[in-house]
Amino acid sequence: MTSSALTRPGQRDRLIMKVPEIDWRLAFMITCIAGVGAMMLFSAAGQSWTPWAAAHTIRFALCFLLMLVLSLIDIRVWFVLSYPVYGVALLLLVAVPLIGHQSLGAKRWLQLGPISIQPSEIMKIGLVLALARFYHGLGAKDAQLSWKLLIPVALIGAPTLLVAKQPDLGTAILIALTGATIMILAGLTWRLLAAGFVAGAIAAPAFIMFVMKDYQRDRILTFLHPEQDPSGAGYHILQAKIALGSGGLLGKGIGLGTQSQLNYLPEKQTDFIFATFAEEFGFVGCFFLLAFYAATIMVALRIASISHSHFGRLAAAGVTATFALYVLINAAMVVGLAPVVGIPMPLMSYGGTVMVTVMVGFGLVEAVRVHRYSEITSGRGSLLF
Amino acid sequence: MEPSIFFDEVNERQGVFHRRTFLMGGVVGAATLTLVGRLVQLQLVEAQRYQSLAVANQYRFRLIPPPRGRILDRNGIEIASNRPDFRLLIRGDEVEDAQTTLDAVSQLIPLPDARKRQILRQLEVTPHAVPVAVANDLTWTEFSRVNSRAPELPGVTADMGESRVYPFSGAFAHVIGYVAKVSQGDLDRAKKDNPSGQIDPLLLHPGFRIGKFGVEQALDADLRGKPGGQKVEVDSVGRVVREDPAGDHRATPGRDVVLTLDADIQNRALEVFGAESGAAVVMDVRTGDVLCLLSAPSFDPNRFVSGVAEAEYRALHDFDHQPLLNKALAGLYPPGSTFKTMTALAALESGLVQATDRVMCSGQFFFGGRYFHCWKAGGHGAVDMNSAIKSSCDVYFYQTALKIGPDRIAKVADAFGLGHTFDIGIAGQRKGTVPSTEWKKKAFAHNPANQVWFPGESLSYGIGQGALQVNALQLAVMTSRLANGKKALLPRLIKSVGGVERPRGDAFGDLPIQPDHINVVRAGMQAVANDVGGTAYKVIQLNLGDIKMAAKTGSAQMHGYGNTGNGAKARDTTNMAWKMRDHGLFVAFAPYDDPRYAISVILEHGLHGTNAAPKAVEIMKVALLKDPDMRSRIERPLPDEPRPTASPSDGAPDETLAPPTDAPVGAPPTTGQPRT
Repeated sequence: MTSSALTRPGQRDRLIMKVPEIDWRLAFMITCIAGVGAMMLFSAAGQSWTPWAAAHTIRFALCFLLMLVLSLIDIRVWFVLSYPVYGVALLLLVAVPLIGHQSLGAKRWLQLGPISIQPSEIMKIGLVLALARFYHGLGAKDAQLSWKLLIPVALIGAPTLLVAKQPDLGTAILIALTGATIMILAGLTWRLLAAGFVAGAIAAPAFIMFVMKDYQRDRILTFLHPEQDPSGAGYHILQAKIALGSGGLLGKGIGLGTQSQLNYLPEKQTDFIFATFAEEFGFVGCFFLLAFYAATIMVALRIASISHSHFGRLAAAGVTATFALYVLINAAMVVGLAPVVGIPMPLMSYGGTVMVTVMVGFGLVEAVRVHRYSEITSGRGSLLF
Repeated sequence: MEPSIFFDEVNERQGVFHRRTFLMGGVVGAATLTLVGRLVQLQLVEAQRYQSLAVANQYRFRLIPPPRGRILDRNGIEIASNRPDFRLLIRGDEVEDAQTTLDAVSQLIPLPDARKRQILRQLEVTPHAVPVAVANDLTWTEFSRVNSRAPELPGVTADMGESRVYPFSGAFAHVIGYVAKVSQGDLDRAKKDNPSGQIDPLLLHPGFRIGKFGVEQALDADLRGKPGGQKVEVDSVGRVVREDPAGDHRATPGRDVVLTLDADIQNRALEVFGAESGAAVVMDVRTGDVLCLLSAPSFDPNRFVSGVAEAEYRALHDFDHQPLLNKALAGLYPPGSTFKTMTALAALESGLVQATDRVMCSGQFFFGGRYFHCWKAGGHGAVDMNSAIKSSCDVYFYQTALKIGPDRIAKVADAFGLGHTFDIGIAGQRKGTVPSTEWKKKAFAHNPANQVWFPGESLSYGIGQGALQVNALQLAVMTSRLANGKKALLPRLIKSVGGVERPRGDAFGDLPIQPDHINVVRAGMQAVANDVGGTAYKVIQLNLGDIKMAAKTGSAQMHGYGNTGNGAKARDTTNMAWKMRDHGLFVAFAPYDDPRYAISVILEHGLHGTNAAPKAVEIMKVALLKDPDMRSRIERPLPDEPRPTASPSDGAPDETLAPPTDAPVGAPPTTGQPRT
């Protein structure tokens, strides 16, 4: 890669120069996955664009444009906005229990004028930015083990607790794991990691018994013994397994999945869309789909690793970690390797909020790629334009 | 890459990041491989299992009840069949809101609120896959009205089923019984009988009726058939998405049951009984086929199919004529004088008495310190066996029974089927009592003083009274065996089931009685009907060409007489209340010269056998007229012989009536000494 105007610090580049720097390979893969999602939503609705497939396609198209726009924003702007974004997200999270509105037994939404937003989704990006920003200014030694690490722990802990309180266990876990991943990538010493692991293993049973809500505990118990309650909480797990298993090697064909078409499969268009896909496309389809997701993650990690700035590296890797956690947890849940938590399959599941979050995330990854040679010269938090 | 080092650690943290990012890629790869492994397990290894689970989810079978087998008479006339029944069913698993749906239904057909509540209650207790009946027996208009609105009424199906119908109403009620709704008791029994403890879903179907009585109950398993299934694709809430006619399997209809009964004879029998109470049994003496098995009065089994009202059932149950009881099988009566045939046979078999031996009847017989009366106050004079049977002389049989003792009588009665129950395929027979010394020991096991046979009991026994009790079927079997003269006939009621013939009644060996002796009794019975002095002469003229009947009358006392010693004139019960009157009995067979049909009639509280006789004649006439051989005999012009006049003597069989065939004739004219 030859040097370009982009490499020169402090200098504004013409936007048109940046367009070829966008990783079109990544954009293409994302589009492919979203296309598969639209196809599955079309099939799940009984070969109909309504109610899901058309909305999904339009939403993706808008989000794709958003991603392109975000990818052109200078990495230093992202850098400067890191803490403010985090701060706003945290404030909104605090506001949720006070002025949020309830839906399905949980307060997750804020109504701001005509639009309703989910602060926990903003936090997913905000936390990645804030941690990247923090580690950008932290030496390797401190990143390993020092009292300063209490700051990222607090940055992670506060939103995690607030989201868990809503309650939205799935998102809380996702936020916590994303934060932990960034800390590890930044150089956290393995000893502290092991200690944290042991502490978690000890704390988990107590957490499950005393802190969790009944329905959350039920989900875990049901995951461990799904056959005990085949028509109640175990129903999701069992029906998803039937959908997957009955797909066989090659699947039943598009639009012919009886489990999804006859509504035996719960949440067939959202959290369990992978099972819908598996039923109709079989093992071969699943293998390629998972491989495609894995490849997307690898490409994004590669982008992170070629960034010159530590902020860029960690931000791209953090977003990728979020994406990977979405995919892996959702798939594990659908195939029965993890308890049912409300985590959708990104880019495929129907739902606007996650789509926006993921595409904003990819916008950040692309921005890191476009501005990979940008230096954020002062690690001490100075604004650089 | 341009180095951009501002302090030492920059390179170090970049290195750590690269290593750990590489590691993260590995972790993602490993996790993906784990997922793929899991998919291998689910989609390749266990695919078969999940595929069948998916199919089990997708398809369900709606039960199609099988058509119940018909019940036919010997000529193929339907006596129990099925008629189309338009009904409305509701399915708990397909209905969204039962209350709303029922309200909508009540806009189309009359449906009282009480009935709605009943349906809702039923929906709660019935398994969801089993429909509940909303209404039965809709008219075609109502049926099509509901059918056209069906799409607006999810879970409600207008269904054309079948319902049991008995075209002859009461005539066959006691034999074929009836079907009715499955009761909790039936369900419990079905659960107990089935090793898996599962109830056949057919039993839960609202259109299904189970046999409760008679043939319907006894052959329920054969008549029931096997249910079919209608394959339907259902979604997760059980709503039918699509029907799959290719996947249906048809119901196997129940087997048809053919009875030996003849609808014409049976109907005529019910007719002649009118409002009176009693039983009549007609048998073919060649095969043992039961042509008529009637108990009167009867009831309409059709009323029970859709559930008889409590009040109506009470009324039937409480009526003193007992319409619900099958009197032909379960009604026990002393056979009265009809039993004298058995006493006579036992006497001949014993060798102690010859047919020609005479007994002096003075109208009473003094024994054991008291008088035993003959029914004829003035006495019969000197009587031999033939005239004793003909005129039903009590004194003759008092003395004969006394001479031969109870055990010889019991042995003959046993050989002729009294005291037996027969395997005719339906339940409800009572075997009655044929007393003997041995029986007495058993019957009075707790009263040793009574275990001795008192000679006075033999006197009553000889004329068919005392402890002796029989039913109409046994009397018919007795008469058939007398008429057949050779075979120990067994009655057959079920001719075939599903085309498989049941064994005939003449396939079971011979009577252990000398034919000569039987002939003596038969001649006596012939005289009863055809001699001027015969007890039934006045009442049973057939007027069917040269066909003659042989018969025996009887009356079964409700109250002791004769052996009471003080009630010489107490026999006439005409003026007593119905319940207190004597029963009238009558047995006969015809034609005398070539026996084909035997009949027994019991007229409850009919006073005397002569009142039962005309009914028997009417019934017998139908049997004879339906028989083509008999018909040609009847229609043949009579030979130019003078009409037989009854012999003025009280004994000799009329030789001009000698049968043209090899049929036996009665005993030779009597010359024996009168005995006292």
